[in-house]
Amino acid sequence: MAQYKRLGGIMAITLATATGLTACGFGGSSGEASGGGTTLDLLVPSYSDATQGLWNDVIAGFEDENPDIDVNLQVESWDNLESVIATKIQGGDAPDIYNGGPFAGFAEDELLYPVEDVVSEDTLADFQPSFLENAQVDGTAYGLPFIASARALFVNDALLEEAGAEVPTTWDELLESAKKVSELGGGVAGYGMPLGSEEAQAEAAVWLWGGGGSFGDADEITVDAPENLAGAEFIKTMIDEGATQADAGATDRSPLMDIFIQGKIGMQVGLPPTVGQIESDNPDLEYSIHPIPTEDGSPFTLGVADHLMAFQNDGDKQEAITAFLDYFYSPEVYVPWVQAEGFLPTTLSGSDQLADEEALAPFLEVLPDAQFYPTTNPDWQATDSAFKALFGQLDSKKSAEDVLADIQAQVDAG
Amino acid sequence: MKDLLKALPWIGPAVALIATVVLFPVGLMFWNSTRDISQSGVDKGGVGLDNFATVVGFDAFWPILGRTVVWVVVVVACTLVISLALAALLNKAFPGRRLVRMAVIVPWASSVVMTTLVVHYGLEPYFGIINSFLVDVGLIDSPEGYGWTRHAGTAFTWAMVVAVFVSLPFTTYTILAGLQTVPGETVEAARLDGANGVRTYLSVVLPQLRGAVSVAVLINIINVFNSLPILRVMTGSIPGYDADTVMTMIFKYMQNQRQIDLASALSVIAFLVVVVIVAVYVRLVRPLEEV
Amino acid sequence: MAVLTREQTTPGTAGPLPTDGLRRRRRYTADQVPLGSLLLRLLGGLVVLVVFLLPYLIMFFGSVKTKAEIRSVDPTYFPREWHWDNYLTMWSTPETPLLQNLISTLVISLCATLVVLAVALPAAYYTARFRFRGRLVFLFLVIVTQMVQPAVLTSGLFREFIAMGILDTWLAMILVNAAFNLSFAVWIMHSFFAGIPREVDEAAQLDGAGTFAVLTRINLPLVWPGIVTAVVFTFVASWNEFAASLVLLTTAGNQPLSVALTKFVGQYETSWHYVFGVSIVAIVPVVLLFMAIEKRLVGGLVAGSVK
Repeated sequence: MAQYKRLGGIMAITLATATGLTACGFGGSSGEASGGGTTLDLLVPSYSDATQGLWNDVIAGFEDENPDIDVNLQVESWDNLESVIATKIQGGDAPDIYNGGPFAGFAEDELLYPVEDVVSEDTLADFQPSFLENAQVDGTAYGLPFIASARALFVNDALLEEAGAEVPTTWDELLESAKKVSELGGGVAGYGMPLGSEEAQAEAAVWLWGGGGSFGDADEITVDAPENLAGAEFIKTMIDEGATQADAGATDRSPLMDIFIQGKIGMQVGLPPTVGQIESDNPDLEYSIHPIPTEDGSPFTLGVADHLMAFQNDGDKQEAITAFLDYFYSPEVYVPWVQAEGFLPTTLSGSDQLADEEALAPFLEVLPDAQFYPTTNPDWQATDSAFKALFGQLDSKKSAEDVLADIQAQVDAG
Repeated sequence: MKDLLKALPWIGPAVALIATVVLFPVGLMFWNSTRDISQSGVDKGGVGLDNFATVVGFDAFWPILGRTVVWVVVVVACTLVISLALAALLNKAFPGRRLVRMAVIVPWASSVVMTTLVVHYGLEPYFGIINSFLVDVGLIDSPEGYGWTRHAGTAFTWAMVVAVFVSLPFTTYTILAGLQTVPGETVEAARLDGANGVRTYLSVVLPQLRGAVSVAVLINIINVFNSLPILRVMTGSIPGYDADTVMTMIFKYMQNQRQIDLASALSVIAFLVVVVIVAVYVRLVRPLEEV
Repeated sequence: MAVLTREQTTPGTAGPLPTDGLRRRRRYTADQVPLGSLLLRLLGGLVVLVVFLLPYLIMFFGSVKTKAEIRSVDPTYFPREWHWDNYLTMWSTPETPLLQNLISTLVISLCATLVVLAVALPAAYYTARFRFRGRLVFLFLVIVTQMVQPAVLTSGLFREFIAMGILDTWLAMILVNAAFNLSFAVWIMHSFFAGIPREVDEAAQLDGAGTFAVLTRINLPLVWPGIVTAVVFTFVASWNEFAASLVLLTTAGNQPLSVALTKFVGQYETSWHYVFGVSIVAIVPVVLLFMAIEKRLVGGLVAGSVK
């Protein structure tokens, strides 16, 4: 009898282990290189339907030229990207190359290679100086400018004509024109204002900086500075007077852009890829692109640059990383990539090649007046999150001052 | 001791599995709650109970805790009441009952994420089906519909509706099973004594369902408290913290603010709250009598 | 001959009920049930049917619309054209390899269920039958597991599986799902085993059977509904798992559907028609599975709730 018991127990353990091992056997891959040589882990977000395909092409070309280096591509949506990178770093499994936005936090924790260590001098010299400066923490650049975009006002000419409204250049004109369009009724809104968590910080920048304020600089984040109040309060005015779509506080930019493309919004701030989107989704839309209105009409745009950054990890892949980055930034590879996604190039050679692109012209025009996020401030990531989480509260009974104060508080606590 | 050794081959694998996959991360969670961890995940040293102080001192903490209570109580209570009615219906004969029983299974068989996504889609202004239906029927004035998922109150309410919806199948079936064990004689006897349907139900049937109901409620309480995907999808686009429960707040700390230390502290609090709730419930209701 | 009430004679709901073997064929004629009552029940049934199936109908109709139609500001209830080809094109979306995601979900859920069965069954049996030092501690441990969900433990799990070298493998998620569903399975099966009188065991042992044989030959057939219930719950729970999968499975091909579907909420447009199409593909087999075992399920829950 006793031996039955033991037998039973042994069988139970064996069964469990066997099941586990079998599962392991046909489990997923864990990214091993297929032959000897180095493997690079590349973690990127998807900018559009085409992103993964574009990267696959780049990698195929690179692996052809460098047979002893394999590149592992991991694509995530922007939603998931930041939590994936955070958990990877936590677990000591950071990728080798990462395409993201904020990087100063990583730099502060000494996780990144200075860019001069991972690209050749020629590549480094090809970057637009303003973009490269923007990627510096304490004088050393840790991020490689990847793609840039500027913002501009997309105007639905048909709607504005119907409402008898003018294309605005100042805030007051914007308010007036937007109200006229909203009054057309039938589900139409004058100005599309996305204060939702997808990219609240962008809309915030448009308004707060347009009124002469700023988020701060490399040393200090100053969201609650009095200069920002004008913009925040004007947002409230726009919402209260019915110039915007309903529920601005929880509306995200992309779905709202979709509504603009379908012709139900008078004006909305858009980016270079929007041109391609309109072309494919609603080519009959009558629209035009104009500089963003500011409080006093002075020129301004929000410049956004995403970066490529290289994690040191064990420090043994520097050469492979350099090879890949040099390959990617070579004009034959880089320019088509940027063009396909509809963004602005950050390299001098890129700008030269795309200078004639009609779709990019309005954005290239406003680029010289671009202001950037203070991405080199180590608290920028926390600021970004705080805006996403809290800025939409402007569409509520909370005062503009309180909302800005809340955001500052969350930044300071982080 | 010898007893324990004999038991080992039988309970060994279970203990091993729990020890490696559950206990270690739990321990780590408790540990992390007392550390200061940077946004990139680098551990910067111990800070004692500071994280707890920060979490509890946060403005929205007590409203979030209160809302969590509301969330659990309302969802579990509604699920229970509707399930009782539903089970009673499904226990009676009528043509097509088999079909209805199958329909009740569907939300259970579907992933919660998928069900929530379709409801969220339906409630979107401009292109959501549910919204456009409400507009067509005349219940909503504005042509693009109402932003149900854009306001904390309505989004939270709809999230509760979805939570009840996905909890109904399990609870209904558990109660249905319980109903099957109610001997017909007791019902007959009550009827012979002159009690009408409702009276019979309340004083004869219901008490005999105690076992089934108490089990179902306990499981529901735990699952609803720990529920994340429904709230995340339905209230995810709302700024601020007016529609958060403890679980969604933990994830906001983890993913939005990237403060693993605060998330761990809040997780510890949540963990302790659940332990207390379950302990109290088990003591009061005793669904685990002969364990 | 005992008079059977309507409530007792319900064909098709097998369970360990003490009947005297009398089952009558159902007839829904007016002389058995008063017409008013019957109509009310029908109405109730209809309402339930509509309410429960509505979201999935929306999903189904949405899955055959074009991208333009499904996000159009003038929504249509029924598709203008039925694009069945969506079911072909959705497998090669650039965001995520949906076929691999589906396979991943299936493999993880099935294996986790098997592991739970293999581990919980002996444990439940032994703790129900034998008293030993530490028994209550073990049971308490099991219950505590039920209260904690993978969602809050992601960073710990991540670090741990890296150390074990199995991050981003199906094995990692199988273990996670198995461990966290273990308690429910043990609990359900425990109550079943406890419901079998000792005399049955003792009689078998007198006949010379060892503990293991008693388990397999005598007890298992009797607790079958409980096993089915535990299997179903574990499967569904693994199917639904999101938070840990998001963090532990990083390669797109390894991710289960719950994570993959969120990728469609991309930066520019949500391909709702693909989201719904994949959902339908994922839901239909599980619904069919549930339907097939519905009888056992009720039986399982009956015995499980009888204390």
